[in-house]
Order: sequence, then structure tokens, then C-alpha cells
Amino acid sequence: MSLEQFKNRNVGTQNYVKLDLAHTPTTGWGQFKQVVGRTFKPELFVGLWVTFREMGNALVGGKMHTTQYPFEKLPISPRYRAIHDMLRLMESGNYRCIGCGLCEKICISNCISMETKYDENQRKEVSEYTINFGRCIFCGYCAEVCPELAIVHGPRYETASEQRASFSLFEDMLTPIDKLNLQQEYDGFGAISPNADENIKPTPLAY
Amino acid sequence: MDSTMLPEVTAVGVIIKAVLILAVIAAIAGFGTYIERKILAFMQRRLGPQHVGPYGLLQLAADGIKLFTKEDIIPQHANKIIFAVAPVITAATAFIALAAVPVFPGFTIPLVDVYVPSIASDINVGILFVLGMMAAGLYGPLLAGMAQANKWGILGSARTAIQFLSYEVVTGLSILAPIMMVGSLSFVDFNDYQADGTWLVVYQPVAFVLFLIAGFAETNRTPFDLLEHEAEVISGYVTEYSGMRWGLFFIGEYANMITIGVIASVVFLGGYNDFWIFPGWLMIIGKIAFSFFFMLWVRAAWPHVRPDQLMWLCWKVLMPLAVINVVITGLVMMII
Amino acid sequence: MSEVQTVENMVSITIDGKEYKAKEGEYILNAARANDIFIPAICYLTRCSPTLACRICLVEANGKQVYSCNTKVKEGMEVTVNTPNILAERRAMMEVYDVNHPLQCGVCDQSGECELQNYTLELQVDSQSYSIPDTKRETSDWSSVLHYDAGLCIVCERCTTVCKDMIGDAAIKTTKRGGASLDKAWKDEMPKDAYAMWNKLQKSVIAPSNGTGSTDCSDCGECIAVCPVGALVSRDFVYTSNAWDLRKIPAVSAHSSDGFQIYYEVKPISIDNRDEKIYRVTNEWNYVSLDGSARFGYDYENRGVTKDKKAFDLAIEAFKKAKTIRFNSMITNEEAMMLQTLKEKMGIKLYNPEVRAFQKFLTLYADASGHSLYTSSMEDSMKSDFIVSVGGALRNDSPGLKYAFNNVQKMNKGAGLYFHPVGDTLIPSFGKSVSTFTHKVGLEEATLYLVLALFSDQDKLDSSVKDYITELGGKEGLIDLVGGDSKKFIKGFDKMMKKKERFTLMVGEDYYYHDRADNLAKLIALIEQTAGFNVVMNPPKSNALGVAIICDLDDNAEGYTVGYNEIGDFRLSALGDGDLDIPAFNQQEGTVTNLSKRVVPTNVALDYGGYELNDLMKELIDDAPEETIDWTKRLPTDRGYRAVEFDSLDNYYDNAGNEHRGYLLNVLFEERDTPKVEKFYDDTLLDGDIVYRCNPPRQFNDFSAKAHQIFEPFGLYVSSSKAESLGKKVEVVFDNGTIVVDVIEDKKMEGDIMALSDFKSAENVYGLFDGSRYASVTIKEV
Ligand code: SF4
Ligand code: SF4
Ligand code: SF4
Ligand code: SF4
Ligand code: FES
Repeated sequence: MSLEQFKNRNVGTQNYVKLDLAHTPTTGWGQFKQVVGRTFKPELFVGLWVTFREMGNALVGGKMHTTQYPFEKLPISPRYRAIHDMLRLMESGNYRCIGCGLCEKICISNCISMETKYDENQRKEVSEYTINFGRCIFCGYCAEVCPELAIVHGPRYETASEQRASFSLFEDMLTPIDKLNLQQEYDGFGAISPNADENIKPTPLAY
Repeated sequence: MDSTMLPEVTAVGVIIKAVLILAVIAAIAGFGTYIERKILAFMQRRLGPQHVGPYGLLQLAADGIKLFTKEDIIPQHANKIIFAVAPVITAATAFIALAAVPVFPGFTIPLVDVYVPSIASDINVGILFVLGMMAAGLYGPLLAGMAQANKWGILGSARTAIQFLSYEVVTGLSILAPIMMVGSLSFVDFNDYQADGTWLVVYQPVAFVLFLIAGFAETNRTPFDLLEHEAEVISGYVTEYSGMRWGLFFIGEYANMITIGVIASVVFLGGYNDFWIFPGWLMIIGKIAFSFFFMLWVRAAWPHVRPDQLMWLCWKVLMPLAVINVVITGLVMMII
Repeated sequence: MSEVQTVENMVSITIDGKEYKAKEGEYILNAARANDIFIPAICYLTRCSPTLACRICLVEANGKQVYSCNTKVKEGMEVTVNTPNILAERRAMMEVYDVNHPLQCGVCDQSGECELQNYTLELQVDSQSYSIPDTKRETSDWSSVLHYDAGLCIVCERCTTVCKDMIGDAAIKTTKRGGASLDKAWKDEMPKDAYAMWNKLQKSVIAPSNGTGSTDCSDCGECIAVCPVGALVSRDFVYTSNAWDLRKIPAVSAHSSDGFQIYYEVKPISIDNRDEKIYRVTNEWNYVSLDGSARFGYDYENRGVTKDKKAFDLAIEAFKKAKTIRFNSMITNEEAMMLQTLKEKMGIKLYNPEVRAFQKFLTLYADASGHSLYTSSMEDSMKSDFIVSVGGALRNDSPGLKYAFNNVQKMNKGAGLYFHPVGDTLIPSFGKSVSTFTHKVGLEEATLYLVLALFSDQDKLDSSVKDYITELGGKEGLIDLVGGDSKKFIKGFDKMMKKKERFTLMVGEDYYYHDRADNLAKLIALIEQTAGFNVVMNPPKSNALGVAIICDLDDNAEGYTVGYNEIGDFRLSALGDGDLDIPAFNQQEGTVTNLSKRVVPTNVALDYGGYELNDLMKELIDDAPEETIDWTKRLPTDRGYRAVEFDSLDNYYDNAGNEHRGYLLNVLFEERDTPKVEKFYDDTLLDGDIVYRCNPPRQFNDFSAKAHQIFEPFGLYVSSSKAESLGKKVEVVFDNGTIVVDVIEDKKMEGDIMALSDFKSAENVYGLFDGSRYASVTIKEV
């Protein structure tokens, strides 16, 4: 499913068919005619035929519709805001989060909290990061504000849990290092706009 | 009425037959729910039950276990005795009706040499008996709805009363014409009448259609499932039922469907006579199965009607048609 | 800073076409700020000298471009804040500041409170026109508390300025960066001032001024406070929290008697533990400068306390049978009032050796001078131009007065005399006009006679005093007596006295414990009367002044004693080791009477779940109010307090730098005859090994010792030369006991007197000294 489909909001120009409804009969004779007409028109059989045909399609035509959730899942829109993922840098495998705390600040339901420290490489290190999914309203602000595209909404939308407050820790959300090659770039809210390049001004590097 | 060629019908045979009918029909009724779900699913391009057992076949068992183990709730203000008895009426009448219906061809159990007749009790007014029993089945829903002290239940039983009573008339009248032609009320005679391969439906198409329509109404199937239509009356007369009591209604309904299927097959569709290379037992099973399938098919295809439309259809369309059909049949018989 | 703004010393100026009043002699920048007009300025610090490092404060005054931070207002001056040329200059400056500035705002500890960010946005810098190759600038830790990230430093020199002009340590300075030098071509291409600024910026970086990698300073952390960017941060705080996550709680510094306004900044300890802790202490650095104990000595709270009913009942019992309550100055006015109430209602003695001597001295002084309290304050001292400090180890006892002493030299072209038996190398470095006198212990009266001789209006002096001075050899004789060089000093003194108008005498703790405190108090009163000095005294610690005024203390303890943060038969303690827990200072609300005689409010920074003194009061006396702060309006009005609600007390500084914190104590003035001073005897001089009761800088009490960022250990502090002769550990034998302590070298000390810490109450150092601050001892090796 591509983003374009979602961006097309011109619903008014799509192919609608107008129903041409016959008038309701007013006289007894008219009603009788309608009944007879309806009784002897093969309308009812059309219905039977349609259902039968679909059964055929389903059974032998391979047009079965069912997705066998939870064994199969439908792809969801990249803009869908499900359980968060923490991404890593493709090149180094380091996590992208720099610990700026903007997500923590912007979070509308105050459910992110994090701990940072000064690490041995003189960098800011995120020592722990948690989201309380019992409170998260999946507004997507955190992903939108994140300057590193580190916290994003992943495709995992099953949020049922045994407890009202279910916390995710940094480890839970971080792309496992051995699955780094499977990491998907995020395309939803907060992702770089397609014309980002045009908006960047060059900085002089005269030396 | 001459069936001298058949072995003697013993009491043991009849009991075996009765147990057979009970067991098989009850099982088939259960199985019917599975079939119904599957068929409806296929027609909507779904898969239907899938995960309990191969192809979801054990869904039936799962449902059974569920129904048996479910808490049996009797509402506080319900009339407890009637509330308890009502489902039994439905189930019992359904099965009793089957007593006079030839379900399989007769056969002899080898070794013990006991003959099991095709019909548990070949009373000579079989049709009358079956129709009567089915009409008595009306008391099930009626009492259930009234006993449970629930407004949806009351509505459900009111609908039961009008719907069943009205369509009783159509059933009776529509089947009168074939009876006139066969000249007997015994199913066996009906079967034998068509032994030459010409099905009664050929002579009585209108009666057949009317009977089918009325059959749908009698068994409370779409498009006439007004008794327990969720969108209107929650669950109608079964609103307050749960567990096995609810299960009895369910079995009763499916048994009735089979009964209607059997009557239609025997009366109009050539009964259990051999047909071409197919043996009689296969034919009758095939016919019953088809009529069962047809009920599901209709359910998948058609919407249900409003109560007023139902009455209108019954009294202004079907009943006059049935009467006209009887009259015409009589005239033709006089002329020929 | 509550100087009366009379019409005489105000001028009118016009800023952007509007007329305003400004204090005469004020810088344009400060005049504008006082009138709520914004002029961009980065490097200027109120109360410090302008450095002209940033040049962004350019304005047009009477048609000429000037730097508003170093141009004084004149009557009728017309100031324009923005002209096209100035705007171009400013923009260029901000672009220059952004050249090679690391794009680290996301992790930077300044987190949104960054002046570089602010001005970059304010001046709408959205593109960069300048560039130069970057130089690798290393991050380094300068001391146990200072963390410097040279990469982020914009060399505004605020840190060096405050260290030199306010703190006095001058421990850091700008040094060569050693990067690429600026292409001359820029000179023609860019605005003039911006180029000049860049030229300097590109060459400099900040480093400890002693040439090593680490600073040798008092670790006050004021440089951290003033840094406009994230270049200077405390080592403990680096990357632990964003500023916006911290909740600011206005409070009062707890350990020294300065009573600085501070903000505790709190947030939850961790993800698992949602109890709050203090992450750092910040201050209004333009108007108040903290010492190390105020900035780093904050985590002494009594954590995890719940209501222990059993202990509480025992405490009630203890109070009922108590004959004495022993306490110290780490107590709010309200609590002091409660104890005083107990004394009045239950006849319990109040024993507080820390404050008792001070209280007596205040009474002596009041008797002699007719002033109910000393007349000056820390802020007033800062406005004087000649300071004489006697009887206190300024660097250790009173950071606030040290800052004032230093600031006067730097800002007011001031002069200063420092009399103390313990030699100090830092004080002379405050300015060229500072003279220090290292006198013998016991010659305190002589120093005051010298002050009389030097400064008094001789006509006002009694002939007996004059005769006595002559007897002592006049000025010269006295100078030589107190350890000075009379010839050299007299020559320089005239220059020192030039254009001096406001004189301040700072009196320290030594005097309170002096055998002849009576005579000292009289001499001080006499100096005040005859030499036009204002006097400020240094209350020993914390709220000593409040306790001294509110409580009627007794001279000794007897019978069953309840200790309040002190030793006793039953101990109430905020240190967590007593019989009943009480809240620590940062868990209390209430008021404190600070050195400047100001009654200032402090607030609860951290939750406390146990009992407090007022809960006991409710059981012990009939009319105890509901809350501790209900005592605020019960403070004794006859002793200078006001009957006001705690919640009505302000706690802020306004844009003009006026202090709106609580209220000033009322000081009563009575006319008195000239005090009759006595002669002194030099047979009281101490000989041999002398120990002085004095804490290292930043240490004041058990609470500062508990704080994890105060590292100064308990021990015997000695000068470098003395350290060599003593070894690592010694036993100090007093008349009434001994103590074994580590010997610690203090490079800024001189001479042979040794300073023994007293901040650990368990060591009972007060007892060893037995009511005096100096003691002759025998040193034994161990
Ligand atoms: S999606 Fe919204 S509510 Fe959830 S963590 Fe992000 S900002 Fe907070
Ligand atoms: S906004 Fe992004 S980079 Fe910043 S702390 Fe949150 S996840 Fe990390
Ligand atoms: S000092 Fe200011 S501009 Fe520089 S990285 Fe930190 S926040 Fe950003
Ligand atoms: S460390 Fe901070 S205060 Fe000092 S010069 Fe650099 S930016 Fe200015
Ligand atoms: S503020 Fe005036 S030059 Fe920096």
C-alpha cells in the first residue's frame, strides 16, 4: 500500500453510481403490479445466483477473502500509529536516540520517561527509556518531534496486555541487532518530507 | 397400502429405528450448524470455522461442550416450570414428527435378523401427524417467550403465534393438492405413487413452491426468521435462554429443517425410489441434503421481511394461491 | 540593594524616543534593563566589569555607536537600540558565533536555556556567510565539580569575569586556542565589530589560569551558573537531565550565614523510583553569587522517613523531662521560635555553643553602640570602597563577605585591609590596594586601635584614647605591632585613601569568642562613631543571626538533654541517625535571617513523610498552630521581626536587580555616649603550636559533609610549609582532650597556625576549644 493512496482525498471524483429508484406505487393496482412484477422477476434468483457464484469463486476460483489473523496480517498504512519502535543506525548499528528528551517533553499523556548519563565516550547515553502504553494515546507526537527519527511507530498494533499499565523498555523497542537488515525506514508522521533536499540551504565551506 | 413384500415390522426394529432417528438427526442437527456456518462463509468468500479440528470440524464438539457446561440461568421473574419445559416441547415435537416420516429405506440388520423399517411408525395419516406435530411445536417458542418475563421474549412469542399459525394454513392447503392426487395420507404411499419416476413436483409445481415458502416460515428460517431477529427483538423468544436449554431450541429448529426437507423430498421429489443408477437411499439423502442446502443458500442471498409483509404475503398471496391450486387440481382430477 | 532612588541621583535619558529615568553613573544597558527595555548582550554581567567580548550590545548613543554595557548614561542622552548598521553587526556576530558551533543542541545540557540559541533566533540568523576550519577542542574536567566542553564555549569570558571580579579566585582565564587564523579578506567583507570579535574569538579558549589542567579554586561553581551555553556544567549534572524537566523551587542556601537565594531543581530519581531528588542548584547569577556549599551541598535530605509513632511518643516523653535542648544554627526562624516558646513555657534551657558567643557579642555591641544590630549588610558592603576585615578567615567563614571584599576592589576602585592571624595568599590578589596583616593571636584589640588611629576623626576621639595610641607608638607602632611594615604601608596608605567615601568594617567569628569581647565591641562601636564606618558581622553559620535574636540562649547545658541535630540524651536528627527523624533544611519551609539582616523565605524542595518539630509542639503546648509556617507571624516583633504571613513574603529579584525577598529586620538606633574603651594587655598572646577552629571552604556542618559533591575532608588544614613538618596524621592535644586527625595541605594558607575543622558535630571540636577559637596545643606524631 503506498502513501499516494492515502494522500488522495478527492473522494468526490471517484466513480459513484447513482441509483435510479422507481416511484412508490400509490394505487392498489399499482401495488399489485409491483408485487406481481417483483414476484415473477428473476430478481430473487439473481440473488441466489450471486451468492452461489461467489461460493464458486471462493472455493475453486481462489478468491477467498479471509485473512487468517493472527497467523496472517494485513499490511497497514505507514501512517498507522502502533506500538513504538526504536531504530538503529544502519551503518553502525548504534541506536539513533541521542537522549534529547524532546519526546518525553512533548508527550501529551506524559507516558515517556527516560534516564540519561555521561558515558565513557563523552557522549550522552540513554541508560533507560520507557513508555507506559497504558497511558499512551498513540498520538504520534513523539515520532514527529524526534530529530533523529529514532522513535517511530512500528506496525505492531496488538496492544492487549494483562495489566492496565504496560511498560515497554528501551530493549523491547530497539531493533534487535541481528535483525538490523530487516529494519524498515519509517514513512509516517515526522519522516522527512519528499522535498526535504530543496529546503536545505548550503553552508559555506570556504576552506 | 400393500407392502406385503416387506418383512414384518417388530417392536425391536421400531425402537432401533427411533434411537437411530434420535441419534442421527440430533447429530445431523449439530452438524448442520457447522455446515450452515461453512456454507454461509463460502458464499461470503470467507473460510468459516477453521481452527478446531481439521477444517474446523470439531467446532461442533466445541460448541456442544460449551453449551453443556454453560451456566444454566433462569431469570428471577420467569415462570420457572414453563421456562424449563418450553425448550423440551420444541425438541420433542420436532423428533416426534420424525416418527412418521420415512427417513431411510428399510433394511435388515444382518446376523440378528432384525428388520428396521424405513419409517418408525407407518401410520396411515402420516402427513397429518407430521403437520400436527409441527404445529404443536408452536408451543415451544410461544411458552418460552411468555415465561421469561422479558419484553423481547413477549414480542418473540407474539410473532411466533402469528407466524406459525398463519403459515400452518398455507402448509396444509399447499399439501392438500398432492394428497388429493395420491389419495392417501401415508408417506409410503406418496413414495410408491412416484415409483414410476415421475415426481409429483411435475404435476404440482405451485403446491411445491407454496410448501417450500411455508416451510421456511414454519422452521423460522430467513427470510422469515422474525421470531428471533436480532436487529429487532434481540433474540426474541430465546433472549433469556442459555446453555443446553438454548441448545434444545437449536436442535429442534434443525430437526424441523430436516423434517421439512424430508417431507418435500418424499411428497414432491420422488421419495426414496431408485433413480437411474442411483439407489433410493442415496437419492433421499441427496434430496434432503439439497433442501437443507437450499435453506442455507436462501439465507445467504435474501434479506428478511417485515412482520407486516409476512402477514400480507401469507393471507393475500400464498393462501389464495393455495386455494386456487386445490380447486384447479380438483377440477383437473374430475375431468381426467 | 535597596538604596533610595532620590531625585538627585537620577538622570533622564531617551531610549528609542521614549524618556526614562536612570541612576546617574549607570551603564546604558543596566538603565535599559531597569526600565524593561531589551538590548541584546551576552558577555556583560551585572556587578562585574564589562569585558567587551561579544560586542553585541552595540547601541547608538547621541549619534555614536557605543557598547551599552560600558557606556554610562548622561543627562539627556539619546539612545537608539537598533539601527540598520547595528542590526547588520549583530547579525554578523551571531553568524560568527554559530561558525563551527557543534550542532548538539539535542543533547546539550543547556537544553533550551541557551543564550546562543536565543540570540541566533532573536536575530533571525537563517543562513551562514562565514567559515573557517575548525580546531579540535577537547572536553576536560577542571576540578572535582567543573566540566568544560571547549567545543561549545563561545569565549564570552563571563566565567573568567565572574571568577575574577566576584569570586576573587581568578582561577580561569582565556588562553590561545591555536587554530587557523582569520583570513584578512573577511575584514573588508564583514562588519567591523563582528570582525574584531571573531578575530579574538578564533584565537581564544578558556583554561585554568595556573597553567595546569585543573583549577585550584574554591569550587563555587559560579562559572557554571553564568555560562550562557552548555560549555561549563557541573560534572555531576552532565547529561543527566534537561532543564525543562526540572522543577525550580526558590529557597535559601543552607550552610553559610549568607542566606543566598537559590533554586533547588528537582525531578524524579529514576524511572523506577519516582521520588524526587535535587539535580542541581541554580541562582539568579546577575544578582547573587553562590559559594560552593550553597551550589553543591544540597543533597542532605532525610529520605524515606515515615511517621514513627513510637519514636514520637518517646520524643514527647523526652521533651517533658528535658532540662536542656541543645541545637545549632541549622534551624529556621520558626523552629527557633518554637524552642524559645518551650523555654518560656516549660523552662527548658536552650544550649547552642555555636551561636551563644555571637549572641553575647551582639548584645555587647548593642550596649556600646546603641544600635540594636550591626548597620551594614553584604550588599551595602559591596557598594563601599574601603573594607577592613577583622577577626574572620574570610575565605573560609564567609564566602559572601569575601565576594564583597573582592568585588569592591575590582568594581569600586576600592581598597581593603585584612587583619587575621592566619596568613592567606588569596586575599592580597584581590587588588593592588589590599594590605594584609598577619598578627599574633591576642592582638585583636591592637588591630582595632590601629583602625582608630588610621581612620578616626581625631577630634572626636577621647584624649585618653589618643594618649593610649601615642603610648603604643602611634600608627607606625601599631602597624609594626600587628605584623605590618610601617614605612611601606604609610607611603601607600594615602593612595589607598584617595577618593574613598564609604567604609565598611567586617567583623568575624574570632571576636565573638575573644576573652575581651567586651572591649572589642566597644572599640567597634567607637570606630563606627568616629571613623564613619559601617559595620557588618558574620554570623557563624546558617541561621545563627536568627537564633541569636529569637532565642534566649543559656551558657551551659545541664541535666537531661534533647539534641536537635546535636548530641544529647534523646536526639532529634535530620541526618537520619537520631531517635526521632526530623526534616532536613531542604525539606522545610520557613524563614531564615541572613547575614544581611533579611528575613528570607525558603521552600520545601523534597517531600518528607515524618514528624516535624511543630508536631511535637502541638502535643507539648496549648496554642501551637497547625503549620510550621504559622509561626512566621509569631516571630518577635520587639526584636525586629514583623508579624506577617509566610505566604505574603516575596522571593525574587527584579530587572533592576532590586532584591524582593522577605523583609529587612528592623534595627533600632539609640544615641549613646562615646564608649569607654579599655587598654589591652599583651600577656594574653598565645605561644607555641596554635590551632584555629575553622572549616575548609564549602564545609560548614554535618549536612554539607553529607552532600556528595562536597569533598573537603575533616582534618587539620595547614600551610604547605607546615604540612612538610607535620606528616600525614597527628594527634592534637588540647587542655581537655585530644583528637587524631589527618593533616591536609591548604596551599592558600600561610604561617604556622593550623585550622581544625569543626563541621562534624560528633567530633565535639567545640568542646575541645572550650569557648574560644584559638587554642595552644601540643602536636604529637602518630
Ligand atoms: S504516541 Fe503520543 S501519547 Fe504515545 S508516547 Fe508518543 S507522544 Fe506520548
Ligand atoms: S526525541 Fe528521539 S532522539 Fe530525542 S530522546 Fe526521544 S527518541 Fe531519543
Ligand atoms: S550551547 Fe546552545 S547552541 Fe550550543 S549546542 Fe548547546 S544548546 Fe545548542
Ligand atoms: S565557558 Fe561559558 S562563560 Fe566561559 S567563556 Fe566559554 S561560553 Fe563564556
Ligand atoms: S555585552 Fe557589551 S560587549 Fe558583550
